[in-house]
Amino acid sequence: MKRYEALKILAPRVREEDLAVVALGGTIDEWYSLHPGPNSLYLKIMGAITPVAFGLADSLPHRRVFSLDTDGSLLLNMGILCTIGNEQPKNLVTLVIDNECYEVIGGPPTHTSRNVDLAAMARGAGIRGAVAVRTPEELERELAAALGREEPGFIVLKLERGTAVFPEEARKRTDGHEDKYRFVRHIEDTEKITIIPREVKSVRKVEGPANWG
Amino acid sequence: MKQDAVRLVVEAMKEAGIGTVVTLPESKFKELYPVLHTDPDFRYIMVTNEAEGAGIAAGCWAAGKKAVLLMENAGLRVAMEPLARLGQTHGIPVLMVMCYTGEIGERNWWGISHGQTMEPLLQAMHIPYIVVRKKDELKDAFRRASTHISVSLYHVALILTGEVTA
Repeated sequence: MKRYEALKILAPRVREEDLAVVALGGTIDEWYSLHPGPNSLYLKIMGAITPVAFGLADSLPHRRVFSLDTDGSLLLNMGILCTIGNEQPKNLVTLVIDNECYEVIGGPPTHTSRNVDLAAMARGAGIRGAVAVRTPEELERELAAALGREEPGFIVLKLERGTAVFPEEARKRTDGHEDKYRFVRHIEDTEKITIIPREVKSVRKVEGPANWG
Repeated sequence: MKQDAVRLVVEAMKEAGIGTVVTLPESKFKELYPVLHTDPDFRYIMVTNEAEGAGIAAGCWAAGKKAVLLMENAGLRVAMEPLARLGQTHGIPVLMVMCYTGEIGERNWWGISHGQTMEPLLQAMHIPYIVVRKKDELKDAFRRASTHISVSLYHVALILTGEVTA
């Protein structure tokens, strides 16, 4: 199974009211082609994908949050496994896209290509339901199981290498700031809150007497 | 920290609307942590390192929740990479509260480098900061910092020292 095939299985499971934090690399254009809505936050920060998703899930416990993390990114900051294991956010589903290499920079292998088992490490950190899948059928089954449980979901997708290619005009064209605004405005609108405050009203009253003469 | 300083920090955080504390504890705020942990007005999240904490606090902000990353100033060094990308690549801010280990007068040799690197790192990152030495400056500092991160869409640091941590 390649990443695009796996994302095609995941995309219909991410509902309009759900949120997703999306890792960098080849995942971006693939996810954008399948799920272009404003409820995905694309982050160019290895090691911060699942922490940011955790912060969203903790702050919005009534919404389901998906972390679309990668082997390289998770390996950079594995402490988040322990925090998920201790805090048990039941609305957070982490999917680790594990192609066992840093594909976007030419494919040098990551540690998961040898002895490292991320699902076992997650279970050791207290994420009891953590599993690894290799086939579309396994992914379907484990995704349904994770979404049905009242505990954090954690699925490692053991994938073949391979990145889908899109015409230039079909690729995401926004930068990190525009991506942030789009996502935060979506949160503001759907939660009916203000996160980025409006400017102060431009018509100001002068306090006390004003002498222009 | 003395109990009146702990109380003032807690009040300052509440008045600034802060509801989530993301933290890796250290020694200078040791009296503050259990108070925050047990206060039902705060969501208290222990992390394993400050880089992880920066990401979590950023996620809280993007969800509309006011959070602080409470840590030793050495944690700034650990958090620097995600802070650079959150703040500069995305404009997603984090409000940091840290102690001033290594300030002039430090009694631990191992803490000296914490002080040598803290302000230069904040300045290199163009992160505005307030060094709060007086207890009666706490509420104003928290109120302004809490507002500033969402207006500037960039990090702010509060460094608590002097009579606050005495």
